[in-house]
Amino acid sequence: MPDVIKVRKGLDIPLPGAAAAKVDAADGILSYAVQPVDYVGFEPRLLVREGDSVQAGSPLLCDKGDDRLVLASPVCGTVRRIVRGDRRRLLAVEVERGSTETPDGLDKPAPSDLSDLTALRRRLQATGLWASIVQRPFGIIAPPDSHPKAVFVSCCDSAPLAASCDITLRGREAEFRRGIEALAALADAPLHLALRRGQALAALDGMPPKVKVHYMEGPHPAGNVGTLMAAVAPLNKGETAWAVDPQDVACIGRWLITGRYAPERVVAVCGPAAQQPQYYRVTAGACVASLLSPHLPATCATPRIIAGNVLTGRQISVDGFLPARTSELTLLPEGDRYDFLGWLRPGFRKYSFSRTFLSGLLPRCWQRRMTARSPRRVPLFDTGCHGGVRPLVFGEPFDRVFPLDIYPMELVKAAVVGDVERLERLGIYEVEPEDLALCEFVDPSKTEIQTLIRTALELCRKEAG
Amino acid sequence: MSRRPLLRRGFDRLKPQFRPGGRFAWLQSTFEAFETFAYTPATVTRQGAHVRDAVDMKRSMFTVVTALMPALLFGMWNIGYQTSLHSADWPYAAGAASFWPCMWFGLVRLMPMIAVSYGVGLAIEFAFAQVRRHEVNEGYLVTGLLIPMIVPVTTPLWQLALAVAFAVIIAKEAFGGTGMNFINPALAARAFLFFAYPARMSGDGVWIARRMWGADAIAGATPLGEMASGAARPSASLLELLAGTVPGSTCETSAVAILAGAALLLLTGVASWRIMAGVVLGGSLTGLLFNLLALSGAPFSASAYLHLPFYYHLLTGGFLFGAVFMATDPVTAAQTRTGRWIYGLLTGAFAIVLRVCNPAYPEGMMLSILLMNCFAPLIDHCVVECNVRRRARRGKEVSQ
Repeated sequence: MPDVIKVRKGLDIPLPGAAAAKVDAADGILSYAVQPVDYVGFEPRLLVREGDSVQAGSPLLCDKGDDRLVLASPVCGTVRRIVRGDRRRLLAVEVERGSTETPDGLDKPAPSDLSDLTALRRRLQATGLWASIVQRPFGIIAPPDSHPKAVFVSCCDSAPLAASCDITLRGREAEFRRGIEALAALADAPLHLALRRGQALAALDGMPPKVKVHYMEGPHPAGNVGTLMAAVAPLNKGETAWAVDPQDVACIGRWLITGRYAPERVVAVCGPAAQQPQYYRVTAGACVASLLSPHLPATCATPRIIAGNVLTGRQISVDGFLPARTSELTLLPEGDRYDFLGWLRPGFRKYSFSRTFLSGLLPRCWQRRMTARSPRRVPLFDTGCHGGVRPLVFGEPFDRVFPLDIYPMELVKAAVVGDVERLERLGIYEVEPEDLALCEFVDPSKTEIQTLIRTALELCRKEAG
Repeated sequence: MSRRPLLRRGFDRLKPQFRPGGRFAWLQSTFEAFETFAYTPATVTRQGAHVRDAVDMKRSMFTVVTALMPALLFGMWNIGYQTSLHSADWPYAAGAASFWPCMWFGLVRLMPMIAVSYGVGLAIEFAFAQVRRHEVNEGYLVTGLLIPMIVPVTTPLWQLALAVAFAVIIAKEAFGGTGMNFINPALAARAFLFFAYPARMSGDGVWIARRMWGADAIAGATPLGEMASGAARPSASLLELLAGTVPGSTCETSAVAILAGAALLLLTGVASWRIMAGVVLGGSLTGLLFNLLALSGAPFSASAYLHLPFYYHLLTGGFLFGAVFMATDPVTAAQTRTGRWIYGLLTGAFAIVLRVCNPAYPEGMMLSILLMNCFAPLIDHCVVECNVRRRARRGKEVSQ
């Protein structure tokens, strides 16, 4: 009897531009980067200098607090540049891929047996693969000695235009399976795997009994780890869980099978502004310029490039680098235009979760025709705020898109105040900013809820440990 | 950018003057208010969700204002119609209670009230926004229209101005402005008038507009007034109550017009259906309970009010108007779903209790909503605390 988890509250934003199920290899990319800003709470210390030659899997950075947490070079080559931002904050370590691929010089673990778990942990940490394990709460890299209550892997990202695991894991089923087994053994705890209802993953037969498969049904955020966690094993204060991206699971699996550190990622280039959206097979940290160039619109201005989905992603430049744990590059038109009496007009071509515009009151078929019409001067979805920032007034829309047993308005208000005790009581440890992304989307007050939640989580981490 | 419209070019040229360091930097909020009124700003998201819903506070508030229109237009007509029933004061040909004269008469009476309400209220709002260096909030667009709609048409303009100032300063800005106030500012204005100038807010002489200043008041009791003075039933028929062709506060009389507004609010999802349903249910149940009490021969069963069928309660006075437009104020109502039900039910119940048990206040709705406004944070606290307890208990079970 499959375990079906039904999510009733939520919203699937009908963003156009889904990637076609076509995967091209992007081999010619020469520059790669490791960006410590992708890792919450990671305070980088440099282990290399410009000009050093590095192997795939050799450490570039380690955490100031715990030098066992390292970030490793994704390719063999030389360190080309160390990029710093304001106040000399370390932004990225760029590595140029060597012309000849030398076999990596790390000790080949042949770690097919999972008997010595302590050694396995240490080796995972040394290769930087450990950094892909995210600890809930706080979203930080799991501490090296942590023993979680459960491990969560969601293979059904439900965010707008999210890359499908059926495509990103195709051909890597055995590696994914190996990774799942290893994680379950390392954590010594139940591993919960989320699939979309009806989705079949070939790698799943005969999994160890610790692995439990759940089928999610319903609108976004049904595929979020937070939603699954709330349904099967909600976190209490003091408890921790691990969350791992399925592609990272496959990377761990590949390392276990072959002994080679080859962090491969399949990335969807998609979005309303992307021409012929499709998937690419790249190495983690790759420069995205050559991936994007065939998809950028020829005529109009450069769209915003979002690494990740439109709700939670990070803006990068056209020649930026793929951040960690990212499976999509979403191209969204910029919305920096004034809208004459925008609040007064009927709004045939405006997308709103509320039905305050005429577009929301018309029948579905009519709406589909409106959204599917040939490219118009004014795009339906863009980066515009569509309004000024106001105090929080309307809480009802939050309740309709937030499925967890938490009061989002109360949580956001506690986050504004920074009241750690109240945040804890209201369940801050059960959420990550991504869980409240839809609240941020629907909010008429245009509050930056995800930023508030992240700041609150950081505050809790510092105050409560 | 060369083809920007004239208005946009004007704003862009003036903008630097109102920026910090500019000559009129002290008027920045005012400038922004006018600019964003004309143009939805071109700001883009910076982090978090890159794409945002098209709805903003202006649109939400504008939806409420639109929902008020049927009641406002009907109220306008009804002002004229009520006066026309008293031919001595009717400036037009006797019996000419046709549509346009009534509308015109009502428009002339109501427009100064609306102008005073918006003028005084917005001036205060702009001043506060300026001093606090905030953007001007849209909340007053609704409040400013609501206030003239819920007072008698004969309210002197200076009293209205005073009430508006009281509501905006004491009930709202003192607590931090839109989103922070705990009682409904429009009802605060009405309560101010009710207690400061009771002679102008109750009795039989205030509900019908006179032809000119100095004339004697026209007696015209509201249905609730009739009940309070011991009538067995209001003299108006159910159909008249439904249509709203009875004396009353300017725009609260017509159930049909209010329900049309309610339909829009529910269709657009701006107001909470839980609160509306709760108020109506609470009022009906309490009305029924009193009817049962009357049948059982309990004390006070001689009071005619106990025998009044419950549906009369829903159609008289400001009950429906309060349920649809006042109790559903998203700031002062309960914030949680369960809390909204409790808040709604109690609001409806207290309104009927106040009407029946305290004939000194013929209209219970205003006081009932203000009372529940005060209790809404407590209701929310209890609901949230249940959630917190559940979480704590779960944590304890695990640790054992």
